[in-house]
Amino acid sequence: MAEEKNSKQRHHRSMFLESMYPVVALMLVLVACVELCDAATVVDVYRLIQYDISGAPFGSRFSSLNHHAASLSFQHGADLSRSVLILPLRELDIAFVQDYISQKQSLGGLLILLPQTFRPGNIGGGETQGLRILLAQLEKLLLRSNIPFPVYFAFENEETDTMLADVKKNDALGQQATATTGGYKLVISVSEPRKIASPTITNIQGWLPGSRADGDSNQLSTIAVVASYDTFGAAPALSVGSDSNGSGVVALLEVARLFSTLYSNPKTRGRYNLLFALTSGGPYNYEGTQKWLKSLDQRMRESIDYAICLNSVGSWDNELLVHVSKPPENAYIKQIFEGFSNVAEDLGFQVSLKHKKINISNSRVAWEHEQFSRLRVTAATVSELLTPPELLESAGSLSDTRQHVNEDSIIKGVKLVAESLARHIYGHQGKDIQIFADNSSLAVNRFYVKSWLDGLSQTPRVAPFLSKNEPLIMALKKELEDYTAEVSIQQESLDGIFTFYDSTKASLNIYQVASVTFDLLLLLVLGSYLIMLFSFLVITTRGLDDLISIFRRPPSRKMKIA
Amino acid sequence: MTLFHFFNCAILTFGPHAVYYSATPLSEYDTLGTSVKAAVVYLATALVKLVCLATFLQVSETEVFDPYQMTKYGFQSQEALKAMIGFIDVAGLYFALAQLTHRNISQNHKFQAVGLGWAFADSVLHRLAPLWVGARGLEFTWDYVLQGLEANANLVFTISLAALGSLMWLRKNKPKTLIPIIYTCAVIIATMPSITSYLRRVMGWHFPKVVGFELMTSLVMAFISCQLFILCQRPSL
Repeated sequence: MAEEKNSKQRHHRSMFLESMYPVVALMLVLVACVELCDAATVVDVYRLIQYDISGAPFGSRFSSLNHHAASLSFQHGADLSRSVLILPLRELDIAFVQDYISQKQSLGGLLILLPQTFRPGNIGGGETQGLRILLAQLEKLLLRSNIPFPVYFAFENEETDTMLADVKKNDALGQQATATTGGYKLVISVSEPRKIASPTITNIQGWLPGSRADGDSNQLSTIAVVASYDTFGAAPALSVGSDSNGSGVVALLEVARLFSTLYSNPKTRGRYNLLFALTSGGPYNYEGTQKWLKSLDQRMRESIDYAICLNSVGSWDNELLVHVSKPPENAYIKQIFEGFSNVAEDLGFQVSLKHKKINISNSRVAWEHEQFSRLRVTAATVSELLTPPELLESAGSLSDTRQHVNEDSIIKGVKLVAESLARHIYGHQGKDIQIFADNSSLAVNRFYVKSWLDGLSQTPRVAPFLSKNEPLIMALKKELEDYTAEVSIQQESLDGIFTFYDSTKASLNIYQVASVTFDLLLLLVLGSYLIMLFSFLVITTRGLDDLISIFRRPPSRKMKIA
Repeated sequence: MTLFHFFNCAILTFGPHAVYYSATPLSEYDTLGTSVKAAVVYLATALVKLVCLATFLQVSETEVFDPYQMTKYGFQSQEALKAMIGFIDVAGLYFALAQLTHRNISQNHKFQAVGLGWAFADSVLHRLAPLWVGARGLEFTWDYVLQGLEANANLVFTISLAALGSLMWLRKNKPKTLIPIIYTCAVIIATMPSITSYLRRVMGWHFPKVVGFELMTSLVMAFISCQLFILCQRPSL
């Protein structure tokens, strides 16, 4: 009986223990899942773009980061391959960065701190021209190099300032921050960047039909106004391109608004159709414009009299340039240019004509009008730029911010384009008439220009990172729908020589870490404290003899055995 | 070295309890059961306190130490309410000391065992979870070391309070002159949480300063209660 009871008890106990195992396992799992992400400081950082041209790699090829922070005051010859170098823009030395990259020295990572004035949406001005030039140089250098470590941009704030001051102090003392000497640890935990499978470019076109006179069986001619809206820069999450080409987009929208007012009344509708197009793929040899043109109906394309392309009209004062690819002696070009000069004279500034021949063998398309010219459509680009931009330049860099765009310049540009188009459409060339006069119902709306410019200056628009239903594209489409009769969207994939990689934005965790020696020291202190406490308690409660006897027990046992 | 830091802070917070148990004659007399019972009583007391706090306390939007805040019960002071609820602690300690049946252990050891179990439960409930979640991270702060020091001070406080409690409730013959002193010391120790929160909010003391103050007062209180205990040991004349 007793044995049965015992075995039952044992059985119960073992069952109890067995049922505890899943509970214990669950508790262990729960406990281990507690996230260790309580950094004192978290900063938004933006990664340098990573892209390939025909397989040749450019930009920063890595994205995750887990190293100690170091500053420029490090000792010469110190090994930085396990450190992240923090470079504020104000103290940047381009030659140093160039050396580092060209000599392929290993570096854990690079963090460039930009002043707050370069943040999109920050209107506070006073940024010196020197910093802008330095930033432009830095961008050019970084974009053209193949960098085997992660490069991130961040904006200065109090926490980064204190961290940098601390790091500089430590570095100046000669203590390289490693696992044993404490300091700051920078951690960005993102997955490795992957190729963007088939980046889409979206072209938006709006069609404003003209009025056909009764008995007129000919097809109406069309005039096109085109601007490319996407950008390209060193940090895709910061490429807002206020001037290139935000100003062009805003000018196009305002011209569309003015003409839609005119065309809404059948009595003032002109005898020309108007085609407004917002194209994408601008920095990549205007691939979007080419695809859009090819997708147009042949008849429609042949009916285009001429096209005006807008590119960077936001920061000029007295002279605007008209770039053409057909020779200036061409009759059409002469007509267009005369129209522009007459209007410009009335408005009080100057336009100049610049001719650049197209080289068919060269695949580089520097201006948007060249895509039109290759398909035998007369076109010209109105721009403030003197020289044709290089590939991937002047397409919305980090230094292209809202503060340096002047709405007055855009308004002057709008007046130029609108007046010359209107005089051509209504047959008032050479006459001293101002259709879009100030203080009239057809005046250029300054607030419209300003609000669209502000909005675009806070929206990064690098095409491969825009989704198909991006809010920006929907907004532009809706805007054109308000002003034109038919709007259509064309989505193509960006093939060709460019490949892009994702992971453009991340969160940087800054941890202040203590060194191993500190932990060891603390352990030593605590051990001695506990030993002292033990001895004190033994002495006060049991007497000194007991304490001594505790240490004497093992020898006495040994003596007994022996 | 984050688990290392956690280990350091854990031995600072819970080490003294184990050392106390093994160093004093408590381990010889096998008073573990008493300590466990005291810990369970502490748990029940904590639950009762939570319920009372949730029912009666009005939580203000800002962290303002306003003892004379107008509540719907009239001019009842919030902090006085918190202090009163703190006395539930004392009631729990009374229950653990006086009402629970312990094996035959001398009064000397009883209060020590009860105080030890009480303080250990307090440390585990209040400090283990923050330690586990916080000290394992990469970021280093002094908070957990200070928390450990606070746990040490708390241990001394609890044992002193248990000593005074045993004097108050278990010893029938006390010298008349010492009774008021005993009661004032007990009141001071029982209201320590209110005093520390007052220091932190009104005087704006930072955590290290508060912990230093706690350590010093704990040593002073321990000395005073030790003397009182010894004085009461002598047969009254």
